[in-house]
Amino acid sequence: MITSIAWKNVWRNRTRSLTVIAAVTVGVFAGVFAMAAINSSIVQRIDAAVNEELSHIQVNNPGFRGSSDIANVIAGPQKVVKVLDETPGVTHIAERIIVRGIASTSAGSAGVEITGIDVEKEQQMFTLNERLIPGTGSYFGTDTRLNSAFIGEKLAKELYIIRYILSEESFTTLEAEGVPAAVAAKLRPLENQRFTTEKKLTEAFSGLLTAKEAKLYGMKIKEAAWSYREGSKIILTFLDADGMQTGAAFRICGIFRTNNDFFEAMSLFVPRDELRRLTGMEEGQYHRIIARLEDNDQTDKASAAVKESLPGLEVMNWKQIQTDLAMIADYVNRIYGIFMVLILAALAFGIVNTMLMAVLERTRELGMLSAIGMNRRRVFSMIMLESIFLSIVGGFAGMAVSAIVIAITNHTGINLVKYAEGLEAFGYSAQLYPTIGADFFIMLTVMIVITGIISAIYPARKALQLNPVEALRGE
Amino acid sequence: MKNYQLAWRNLWRNKRRTLITAASVFFAVFFALIMRSFQLGVYAKMYRDVIESYSGYLQLQHTDYLDESSLDNGFVLEQSLTEVIEADPNVTGVIPKLESFALAAAGSRTQGVMVIGMDPDNEQKTLNIKNRLIKYRLTPEATEALKGERMTDRTARLLDVFSGEAWTDEKSFITDLGIRDDDSAAVMPLFREYASLDNRYLTSADSGRAVIGYGLSRYLSADIGDTLVVMGQGYHGVSAAGLFVIKGIVSMPNPEIDNAFVYITLADARYLYAAPGMVTSAIISIEETGDKDLLQTQQRLSAACNDRLVVRNWKEMNALLLNQMEADNKSGAIMIGILYLVIAFGVFGTVLMMMAERRREFGMLVSIGMQKRKLAGIVGMEMLFIGLLGVMAGIAASLPIVFYGYARPLRFTGEMAKMYEEYGFEPVMPMLLPDTYYLWQAVVVLLILLVAISFSVRRIFKLNIINALRA
Repeated sequence: MITSIAWKNVWRNRTRSLTVIAAVTVGVFAGVFAMAAINSSIVQRIDAAVNEELSHIQVNNPGFRGSSDIANVIAGPQKVVKVLDETPGVTHIAERIIVRGIASTSAGSAGVEITGIDVEKEQQMFTLNERLIPGTGSYFGTDTRLNSAFIGEKLAKELYIIRYILSEESFTTLEAEGVPAAVAAKLRPLENQRFTTEKKLTEAFSGLLTAKEAKLYGMKIKEAAWSYREGSKIILTFLDADGMQTGAAFRICGIFRTNNDFFEAMSLFVPRDELRRLTGMEEGQYHRIIARLEDNDQTDKASAAVKESLPGLEVMNWKQIQTDLAMIADYVNRIYGIFMVLILAALAFGIVNTMLMAVLERTRELGMLSAIGMNRRRVFSMIMLESIFLSIVGGFAGMAVSAIVIAITNHTGINLVKYAEGLEAFGYSAQLYPTIGADFFIMLTVMIVITGIISAIYPARKALQLNPVEALRGE
Repeated sequence: MKNYQLAWRNLWRNKRRTLITAASVFFAVFFALIMRSFQLGVYAKMYRDVIESYSGYLQLQHTDYLDESSLDNGFVLEQSLTEVIEADPNVTGVIPKLESFALAAAGSRTQGVMVIGMDPDNEQKTLNIKNRLIKYRLTPEATEALKGERMTDRTARLLDVFSGEAWTDEKSFITDLGIRDDDSAAVMPLFREYASLDNRYLTSADSGRAVIGYGLSRYLSADIGDTLVVMGQGYHGVSAAGLFVIKGIVSMPNPEIDNAFVYITLADARYLYAAPGMVTSAIISIEETGDKDLLQTQQRLSAACNDRLVVRNWKEMNALLLNQMEADNKSGAIMIGILYLVIAFGVFGTVLMMMAERRREFGMLVSIGMQKRKLAGIVGMEMLFIGLLGVMAGIAASLPIVFYGYARPLRFTGEMAKMYEEYGFEPVMPMLLPDTYYLWQAVVVLLILLVAISFSVRRIFKLNIINALRA
């Protein structure tokens, strides 16, 4: 009975209630959506870390990660493989040889981590091969596969393997991409010129096009002009097992592009047997053994079990390797939790004001109700309920809107190209696909109800302080 | 009675409502200011760190050097050009710098590094690398040895948390480890014994000596006195190799720099890379560093250069950092935008209620001859007062906090500090003193009020006296 009276009371002053409800809707929507967007970037980062960079579990010689000393190989690799194989949930296992060195071309050089991999096994484990930039070759598919290297785009840029040329082919691409013929014609003077950096190309075409055209078609022109010398050679220099400087020429078989600049700039993959031959390491010597799990949720349990069985070796899961990732997720969630509380607190002001109005303009009515025998508890709960209804209706509307918008943007994605450079340097994608857990909505509902209750306290107390006799006499 | 007096009195006819509405504005302004102050303060500190320890405010470079940072884009810095630059009123000095990539090895460990050659005496006039020499560090051995000693539980626990870290000043070391004032007399001698190190800086007279980043020293497990082998490619591809004894260890603000920082004298670098007389850039130190002065100086100096050389400012050289900070800045601005949006609805709700409640009164006033224009003016002023009340209260409440946060920056301790350090940030959150961002809050609130006022003014002009009086 009280409930339905409260509900009807809410709608007695439609405009006023709707203003508050709209405020709650907008506030909740904005908060939830912001949270979903930021959450997605973390989820995507974790996905990339596991599927492209780290895998779930890594086993190292205890001294290896600190120094990358070539002599720090894993003692008893067969046992490690056996233990991993027997661990429930493990689907793939691969051994790696890793050395630090310098990659150089005639134009540039960069420090790299050279990883010798089992090409077939790692193709099943990681999705990195899917990150191959179309037209740059393949994932170790060429005939000269022994001395071929699979490298990141950022590294390729640092070594000046990637250049920009507007070839006849690029012009065809531009036409297919819908760039007007007039714009293409303006670009003709640049045909077949070589630009070593993206910036130089941009400067060149910006001089020929209007600012608007450059802005509209700049990305497409860069994409079309992007090219690299097929089968470019790089020289890798590193120390061999005896501590002597050694090196060899490798042919680039493919270039990959991820959202993590640091990984792209540091990583260089070569076939393991070739690296073993060059370093003079013995058969069966590995620096790292990695394992992939069926399900990410098994990570903690599986890595603990492996650790137990392999004393003397360093067993780490991706959370322990990328401590910052787990921490940043936690930290960001906390920040947004506080932000959500701030929004709800701001909303509470509006609700208090509205409820206060609702109480004060009904002085006579409330006096009448108490006079005919409605007890104080009932009056109190009626005001409470009205306030909760205001917040919960707005809250549900806000959550419904955000659920819809999240579903849509999760499909289409949100593009933050302007900040791509900065985000990708930290390994975060500039293309966001907002997503949020269902448990968040449950927690939020509780928070919204609490907001309604807290905002009702002051107005409800005011209502209780009314003296029935005076209230009836009032106005 | 003047209009504003009427408006002011009207406000206090419904004291509660006025106060609640003003309080909601206060709430938004206060939080927005505190948040902005932290955010902007942290950016300012990061920029300053990178400028003072690495890039400087302005650099003279070859036009292609920014895109292709290789020795081949180096140049010979003519004395005549140096003199022209030094003659500029805003320039305080020119520091030639030769830097290039190389492989550094100590024992059997190797790592790609950036070898930077500068004249140390000259460099200290502008950069602030010397202050980054580490004073304390917790090596695993030191942590073990210290555990046996008497200290508070909290400090003992924090020893583990911070094992492997380094500090450049005693104050932050004490805060991080949670050493209380009354304990420090007993504990500090222990730390001085186990955790301090004899760290020296490079001088211009040094030869075959290097100062390296702490990250690099850990990676190579090379300590002061150890020899570093540097191998790489010199000018025009000649092979370069040299031996350097580590003289000092510094903690650089950016982990990417810290893990690859090798600083030797300019003469040593020129010899190592077989590039006599050459530089890859020259840091130009300036007196006035504000944006306007910076750009003007940059333009003046660029004009003095030949067409192969160019003067870059720190923003051009640190484009990536700026981009990251801007992305973060935007997310902060969006948060505040949402907060204000919610407050705007609240203010609007108040206006709506007030208009409904006072319809009769308005009708009466107009019917006895008050001009609608004057009435609208009074009502508008009432709202303006509410808004200003909130804004001023918000500003007043934030000022002491901001000034305190500026003078004594918030420093995280314990695990929280460790997390920041792992991410490569100092666990310090300084606040920025009042600046244009204060003004912005007032502007935003005024915009919200403008909407509310225009709504109520329209209502008043559309007021139908007969209906209003009947209400």
